[in-house]
Amino acid sequence: MAIQNVIAWIEHKHGAVRRVSLEAATQARTLADALGGKVHAVVTGPGAATAAETLKKYPVDQIHVSEEDRFLDGAVDALESVAKSAGNALVLVGNTMLGRDVGSRFAARLDCGINADVVDFKTDGALAAVMPKLGGLVITTCAFEGDYGVGAIRPNVFSAKETSGAGEIVQIPSTGKASSITVEDEVEEAAAELGVEEASVVVSGGRGLGGPEPFTTILKDLADAFGGAVGASRAAVDAGWVAHGHQVGQTGKTVSPALYIAVGISGAIQHKVGMRTSETIVAINKDAGAPIADFADLLVVGDAFAIVPALTNLVRDAKAAHA
Amino acid sequence: MRPEVSPLKILVTVKLVPDTNADKRIDPATKRLVRTGVETVLNPFDEYALEAALQLKEKLNDGSTVTVVSMTPASGKEIVRKALAMGADDAVMISDDALAGSDLWGTSVALAAAIKAQNADLVMTGTQSTDAISGDLPGMLAEKLGIPGLTYARSIEVADGRVRVQRETDNGYMTISAPLPALVSVTKSANEPRYPSLKGIMGAKKKEIKQLAAADLGLTVAVGTDGAKAKLIDVATPPVRGKGRVVNAADGEDGARQIVDFLKERKFL
Repeated sequence: MAIQNVIAWIEHKHGAVRRVSLEAATQARTLADALGGKVHAVVTGPGAATAAETLKKYPVDQIHVSEEDRFLDGAVDALESVAKSAGNALVLVGNTMLGRDVGSRFAARLDCGINADVVDFKTDGALAAVMPKLGGLVITTCAFEGDYGVGAIRPNVFSAKETSGAGEIVQIPSTGKASSITVEDEVEEAAAELGVEEASVVVSGGRGLGGPEPFTTILKDLADAFGGAVGASRAAVDAGWVAHGHQVGQTGKTVSPALYIAVGISGAIQHKVGMRTSETIVAINKDAGAPIADFADLLVVGDAFAIVPALTNLVRDAKAAHA
Repeated sequence: MRPEVSPLKILVTVKLVPDTNADKRIDPATKRLVRTGVETVLNPFDEYALEAALQLKEKLNDGSTVTVVSMTPASGKEIVRKALAMGADDAVMISDDALAGSDLWGTSVALAAAIKAQNADLVMTGTQSTDAISGDLPGMLAEKLGIPGLTYARSIEVADGRVRVQRETDNGYMTISAPLPALVSVTKSANEPRYPSLKGIMGAKKKEIKQLAAADLGLTVAVGTDGAKAKLIDVATPPVRGKGRVVNAADGEDGARQIVDFLKERKFL
């Protein structure tokens, strides 16, 4: 029998649900309706009960909850038990660090197919996932064979929609097992901020910015004005101006925001493949002949240090006028 | 758990990928990557794993060894040699047409079988490859090997039969540990991979590359194209992004105004 049910794995931090998980829960409903199955959500770890309250606002039939604190193992074990009791199920995870860890272990455990960085699903015919590969050069479609499957969805592509009618909360029985991995401590080095993969607007800086300071000042201000995130090219990361987590490109993150603003970035292939699926690309560069001119929707040739602060003011004004 | 593990047998998985810096094209007729003029290189992410393994071996300095394992067409031998030139002691290559077209699941099954036969204490991998970019193989391998998977490590230490790593998080790190044998995936922030020295390159020619075929893995399930659980059914090329508008900014205000006008046109503001 083919896949019918859809299970959204919910990533959260002390009960605060990551947005991509709400996108997964919403997409799970769309898929389950098309396949004639039910929607389950699985949420584990400290704060799971709080996260479950959030999930009541989303179109989920059953919310499976465990507060048991077992790093990674708890999530995979819970998914396995819910998937096996539901039968014929697709698991949706966010394509995030934790989502990949949990989804990949589940797929190996159940010997099922896994498709990563999914931007669309097909339900006419066999259930299939659509994914850009080779940095957006090709769009591949892969069908799920067998009774189970995993789809790791790209954040910020599917929508998250609240609905009425709360899902039923189901407690996951304790396994009594210890985790194979011991968590000794957790250290926050920077304030929690929206990641480049999840932001709908990304303002990225490159070599042309000449140092670390603009990343925390003019770029950050512009990103904040849009409610977006700060990104960076490899050159800026390798120079030590900004942390690797901000890097967009082949050896960094792949993003597809509604708006991508590239400041002082030449647009080398290594960067291009990480952002060319953005809806709209605006570049600010002092060189009209930079490669980015070939794929930016708008290239403004001029001094970024003058343009960016002025742009921040205009964006703030425009947003205030709408508010 | 092993009471005492010393020296360590460290195993590093490596993959061959099309050159990261090449501007790749798809043949519109075959929908396949045009490989002419595109060199094959060691997956850049795997170099961090290899460097971390070599540094660990050097630090332990107790006879610990580093073996590279690669599932690759036979033509990939030169790339495997680069890993040996960087300092790995020996290599295992799994090359077989029967493995071509393996999906992530098939790859994890075949690689895990080859790794199991090596009885490694520590398996180290990159976090992802630059061509597939799924980032799922480390977790799948750990599960298939039945060992703890400590992923996204930016620093690694081994002591008293345990491996302890700093796992990167979105805004910091976690310190996590597990008993050996274990798998660790290594991030870009862990180190700066070395270049092979001339001595290393010369020495690599004498190092052993063990060749394995699918039959040597003792697999009980079909992998390769036929065994794929995620079956490729279509490859399409997206519309090419055309050249947009290029305008000059007289000054900061002018440049900002032109961007805002454009964003208003596109209903962003």
